[in-house]
Amino acid sequence: MNMDKYSRQILFRPIGPEGQEKLLASKAVLVGCGALGAAQANVLVRAGVGALRIIDRDFVEESNLQRQWLFDEHDAAENLPKAVAAERKLRAINSGVQVEGVVADVTSRNIEELVRGCDVILDGTDNFETRYLMNDAAVKLGIPWIYGAVVASSALTMTILPGRGPCLACVYPSPPQGLHETCDTAGIIGPAVGWASSIQVTEALKLLLGRESELHGTLFAFDVWRNRAQQVKPPIDPGCRVCGARTFAHLEEGGAAHVTMCGRNSVQIHQRDSRGLDLKLLKARLEQFGPVKANDFLLKFALEPYELTVFPDGRAIIKGTQDAAVARGLYAKYVGA
Amino acid sequence: MAVKVVIPTPLRQFAGKKDSVEIDASTVGEALAGLTSQFGDLRKHLFNEEGKLRSFVNVYVNDEDIRFLQKDQTPVHESDVISIVPSIAGGSLICCICS
Repeated sequence: MNMDKYSRQILFRPIGPEGQEKLLASKAVLVGCGALGAAQANVLVRAGVGALRIIDRDFVEESNLQRQWLFDEHDAAENLPKAVAAERKLRAINSGVQVEGVVADVTSRNIEELVRGCDVILDGTDNFETRYLMNDAAVKLGIPWIYGAVVASSALTMTILPGRGPCLACVYPSPPQGLHETCDTAGIIGPAVGWASSIQVTEALKLLLGRESELHGTLFAFDVWRNRAQQVKPPIDPGCRVCGARTFAHLEEGGAAHVTMCGRNSVQIHQRDSRGLDLKLLKARLEQFGPVKANDFLLKFALEPYELTVFPDGRAIIKGTQDAAVARGLYAKYVGA
Repeated sequence: MAVKVVIPTPLRQFAGKKDSVEIDASTVGEALAGLTSQFGDLRKHLFNEEGKLRSFVNVYVNDEDIRFLQKDQTPVHESDVISIVPSIAGGSLICCICS
């Protein structure tokens, strides 16, 4: 193993040569590879975390490039899935570690399989539905995970140590809901992503190095624009349904039949029992209705005012509507019931 | 007694852009009532239709979560700091201030 590339990090005392060996022997899973995920993946891979699995359901678009640091204009032009683009980029950054991109929607059916055996789970998602699923799986399997989220110039993060500290459901018994009017207006800036991802990755490194006493131990918020920090210490909720009663309601659900993606006028359709799709056949069939573009990972079908992006696992993202019924109708008509 | 209520960034737009407000109150409930009577737009972000604190809005007195103290009856004293910490869904889809 060439340790020279890690020499500056090895000089940092809390890591040292032994710590570097530990990092190289560690496995991390990143759920979601948007702004936060791409930033975390970049730092984890450069730091020599030995194996990183990146799961993402989305593809690269031009509007992502302002803050999603792993991707470039070619990825957007080629409509590459984020997990695929990230894997390619990260392998070129550090061939000494294993990087695996998984194009998938994380659901109750696959999450345990995707995270089992890893040392830490990092949050790069944008919704509480997936976070509760991660929290259930992490608490059930006893894997630490690191919540992170950003909006506008504010970021929020918390490290969850199952059995040793509060879990996400202790702090937020129910998800944020309603009041969506701010989604499209608040925006987001890259430096806030940088702050959250830096704290998340630092926490991950401490965990992987076995230095738990040095974790920040708080619900930690920071506004990079106004330079204000808020740090509070949430307690364990003895009545918590997840880490107290060990009921994993989100894992037991059959998986969402559809997910409305907030903030960009899209609905995702996910068939429960998908048999898989042949994108070449589908392309040939859809070309009579409108322009179709396809690569090895997905197919895009424009049908004004909608755009359907279909993945080989049968999943589709329908842009141009927030109405699940409209999206389901389009899916049934053009992709299959 | 004046206590300081710290307003998180996402909610400042509903609180006259202030990052903290001094309120005369002897309990957390009184402080939040005083705050929302001063800034009416904040009310729907902090309380549900039944007037109960939304469960994704956490309120701390100094460093303690009021859910594990006496909730809105938690007494506050001169120079205590009440912090409101909303959750953020955030991420690349810019979803929800969650406030």
